[in-house]
Amino acid sequence: MKDGLHQDRAGSTFKALRSLLPVLVILALIALVPLFSPSNRFLSLAISAGINVIALYGLSVLFGQTGILSMGHAALVGVGAYAAAILARDFGVGFWAALPAAALASAAFAMIVGIPSLRVGGHHFVIMTFAFGQLLAIVLTNGGDYTGAATGLDLAGPVTLFGADMSDLTRYYLMVVAFVTAAAVASWAIINSSYGRTLRAIRENEKLAASLGINVGRHKIGAFVVSGVFAGISGVLLAYFLGHISPSQFSSFPSIYLALMVMIGGARLIEGPLAGGILVAFLPEVLNLDPVQSRIVYGVCLIAVIMLLPDGLIGGIVRALRAVLSGKPKQETEQRNAAEARR
Amino acid sequence: MRAVDIFIQQILNGLSIASVITLIAIGVTLIFGLTGIINFAHGEFLMIGGIVTWLAVSAGLGFPLAVVLAILAVGLMGYILERGLFRFTLERPTNGFIVSLGLIVVLQHVVVLFWNPNQKSIPRPLTTVWEVGGVRIASVRVMVIAITIAVVALSFRMITASRYGRALRASVEDRDTAALMGIPVRRYITGVFVLGSALAGLGGALLIALFPITPFTGGTMVMKGFAVALIGGLGNIYGAVAAGLILGIVEGFSAGYGFSQWTDAYSFALMILVLIVRPHGLFGGTSGPRMAS
Repeated sequence: MKDGLHQDRAGSTFKALRSLLPVLVILALIALVPLFSPSNRFLSLAISAGINVIALYGLSVLFGQTGILSMGHAALVGVGAYAAAILARDFGVGFWAALPAAALASAAFAMIVGIPSLRVGGHHFVIMTFAFGQLLAIVLTNGGDYTGAATGLDLAGPVTLFGADMSDLTRYYLMVVAFVTAAAVASWAIINSSYGRTLRAIRENEKLAASLGINVGRHKIGAFVVSGVFAGISGVLLAYFLGHISPSQFSSFPSIYLALMVMIGGARLIEGPLAGGILVAFLPEVLNLDPVQSRIVYGVCLIAVIMLLPDGLIGGIVRALRAVLSGKPKQETEQRNAAEARR
Repeated sequence: MRAVDIFIQQILNGLSIASVITLIAIGVTLIFGLTGIINFAHGEFLMIGGIVTWLAVSAGLGFPLAVVLAILAVGLMGYILERGLFRFTLERPTNGFIVSLGLIVVLQHVVVLFWNPNQKSIPRPLTTVWEVGGVRIASVRVMVIAITIAVVALSFRMITASRYGRALRASVEDRDTAALMGIPVRRYITGVFVLGSALAGLGGALLIALFPITPFTGGTMVMKGFAVALIGGLGNIYGAVAAGLILGIVEGFSAGYGFSQWTDAYSFALMILVLIVRPHGLFGGTSGPRMAS
């Protein structure tokens, strides 16, 4: 069995590279958008979407690969954002130094949440992450001057790259696109590594994975910590973009929206988080909905996706296309299932 | 006021809130025990119950009639949602959970869309305040506690003494074997959804009698209901009631002794602590239905 894996490796690396290509092409096109002089509103929306997408790539490692869902993911983003704001205020730490520090803080928080939560396992994990998310919001609200209480913190540092000011919307947009690309590549690298295979083994059959000598608990916590790194970076970008953060942005209901985006896009495919983040951000604009209506639409979409397209929208479209093209839907589904298990 | 009076009063306040939470927790615990579905939208059922009460009272109906309407409306909603959505997710409870998240968003914002996001309140159905010794007792709180005790006692009686209750407990214990014994498990699942929803509707009606509610009240309430259900052991009704009492008293104390801004944190902290120390809850529960796999 091991030999088979090795022979397969060259071929599978090529296939894996091919799976990354569409995302890179799409991101390259997205990076060209400023050439068409878009409105500031469009750029702001796109930046928010991109910041979400970075966190979503982390969530896709956790949910899509490992099969565990976090309902407290906005809290991890919040830890990153607050870390950036507090570091800037108390220690004068700038954007670039805040990035690794915030990623570390979010990863540490993920570990603190993860160890007890994953110990109880199964259904309870989701509730534990939700409860920790709520707790964090309460702690931030009651944190007095240190966390700015309910009004939150201001963050007014300039973001510079090689001496150039990045605070300008177009430049910030391009920078976020670059970060999204890095997140996509990182997530792709995890999916196609032996680590990714281990996580999928846990997702498919926890007991079997454990019997093969995989330390299930440690890897689950590891996946949660990895998703925390993505969330922390997304939090720094968010804090510097908005210039102001408050606890309500990171309570558990924003977490629901993050989970919703990853479900709508589909967590297992590399295109999923990108599609989910963009769709959820731009749907209200396209359909011209007010925020209340658009949230109803999101909710209905989420229910519809779960009931009808368990692989997410993109997964569903890909499958439908393949079925139509080949004309042999059943065989395709079987092949796809086999591919899914490998992915 | 003497210290002991404040003490008694805070316990009473805590218990009246605990009543509402217990009503949610029973629904949560029964639905989870039977289907494995974590229905987060249960708090929204409660909120809808409150909104129906508010609409009925605003339309000039009396409070008792409004309560009945709330119970019927939310029970019907539970029936429709179980038949339309949740029955398709029985094989994969995680999907049921995600569907319930979608429902939260939809239900909250449908209410906001039609009846704006502001606070809604009704005039207190009972305004009498009794003075016993130095303790001021609001009769409306006593009413809430009394109704809850009556309903919980009735549910206990149904579940422990009737043959339907025995069949229900058998289904919670082992769905497949119960089905082999000729128990129509699917019908019981529907029944439990309707019962749980009706209790949430009652809870909402009682809640709006105590406090104003907003379309977003369900979020915190369901978390407390879950905390209570988890602390008591999911699937264990006795545990849910006992844990409801504990939480109510803890919250009452904290509000009475100057930590009110942390009130919401207790349920979460207590739940996390209990899950770490005793993952099956203080009183032991089922860990959900055994899946046929």
